[in-house]
Amino acid sequence: MIRSYNAKMIYNLYIFDKTGKLLFYTEWNRFKQSGMSRNEEGKLMYGMLFSLKNFVTKISPYDMKQGFLCFKTNKYALHFMETPSGLKFVLNTDISAQKVREILQQLYNNVYVNYVTRNPIHNLQDSIKSELFKSKLNSFMKQTHIYLSK
Amino acid sequence: MARQTTKLDTKKVSAELFTLTYGALVTRLLKDYENIDDVNKQLERMGYNIGIRLIEDFLAKTNCGRCYDFRDTAEKIQLAFRTYLGVFPQVSNWSAANDEFSLLFDNNPLTEFVELPDHCLNLKYSNIFAGILRGACEMVQMEVTSWFVQDQLKGDNITELRIKFIKKLEDAIPVGED
Amino acid sequence: MASQDVLFEFLHHEIVAYCNSKSKKEKEDVSELEYIGFACGYRIIERLTKDWPRFKEELDMLKFLCTDFWSSIYQRQVDNLRTNHQGVYVLFDNEFRFLSRISEGNQYLEFAPQYVSYTCGLIRGALANLGITCIVTAEVHLMPACRFHIQVQKS
Repeated sequence: MIRSYNAKMIYNLYIFDKTGKLLFYTEWNRFKQSGMSRNEEGKLMYGMLFSLKNFVTKISPYDMKQGFLCFKTNKYALHFMETPSGLKFVLNTDISAQKVREILQQLYNNVYVNYVTRNPIHNLQDSIKSELFKSKLNSFMKQTHIYLSK
Repeated sequence: MARQTTKLDTKKVSAELFTLTYGALVTRLLKDYENIDDVNKQLERMGYNIGIRLIEDFLAKTNCGRCYDFRDTAEKIQLAFRTYLGVFPQVSNWSAANDEFSLLFDNNPLTEFVELPDHCLNLKYSNIFAGILRGACEMVQMEVTSWFVQDQLKGDNITELRIKFIKKLEDAIPVGED
Repeated sequence: MASQDVLFEFLHHEIVAYCNSKSKKEKEDVSELEYIGFACGYRIIERLTKDWPRFKEELDMLKFLCTDFWSSIYQRQVDNLRTNHQGVYVLFDNEFRFLSRISEGNQYLEFAPQYVSYTCGLIRGALANLGITCIVTAEVHLMPACRFHIQVQKS
């Protein structure tokens, strides 16, 4: 498989609803799998985020509004955005990627709301199966600055 | 087909179509249900379904976070009426505990072409609002209830929608955590 | 898109869902939805054409429907209008608003009839008020494109 050189900055995306259900998962560049089912991985991811979110808020020396935003390893960075309605967007990227939260916000505003919330066929409790959403998500990602950089 | 600017006031047309469509729905429900209470309930239920989706659009458009307190909520509800219906209800009549307020409407776009027949006096014509508010607030972890105190359709000078905060809903805890 | 249209869209979804739940026996039965559309079309056109010059002929009315009427309601004009000049008109909307959030292709195609019949009724109602009796049907092959067939009934 020939990988597009440009796409290397964006790894994978998880979307959870407020109950922790994995609504959507997709990957652009993931060279190694976790070895567990997607469902199991989703559960652990959600559990980790939940604990992390609570604990970073607890130990904060100040009152914070947003709390946990991202973490970085030597190979990837995880970016987290939660909407007031409890939807959680998690995007893993290259560690050099900048302003990823802006991308997540736009993804919610322009892709999720338009093609998930406003799709009457989609039941809000179900995982997202809409091909239209997938294709809009892909074209959205392809025009972001981190996709176009490098 | 040649693009030409229309002489119609498109905003007004779509607002009127919305009003007429809502009216056609209420008419249909009145035919389907014998009991007017059931119509009220059905309108509320449909409103709820709208509310749980509309809130996402609202959050995306306004970029606002969760409410600090119920006064903040009142302002956002007011903003939502302006955004989605082009009306400017006034927030007033706060309860002492700050958990209840009224929205006062000089004009209600839903009832623009409507006159209630005598046998429909129990009909809560605009009950969809109550459902929308319940659904939208529930999505941001607030349980509210609302009801009409005054209604221009029933001869009152203004329409008054009373909104009451019931409780804050807790965020769901994932299985295996506490 | 104006926010008011989002609310209208959600109301439309609810009406579709309601009519659908009522006519469970026959899934293809969209006549109630069509009738709601008819009632709205009949009344809205009256308000629209109040201050409008009288239409000289049938084709003028159809043109009005495809341009001013359509763009007021669906934010865009009809892409194409064809006629055989014998009472058959076909309106092509390549990006029909009530389908544009659902699919770009044939996923969910089985749901398409429910999301076009309000509009069939809307067209029929509008034309009825202008004095044209007709049958309106819709055809969807690849969403979000939709064709509306109007067959004028000669009295």
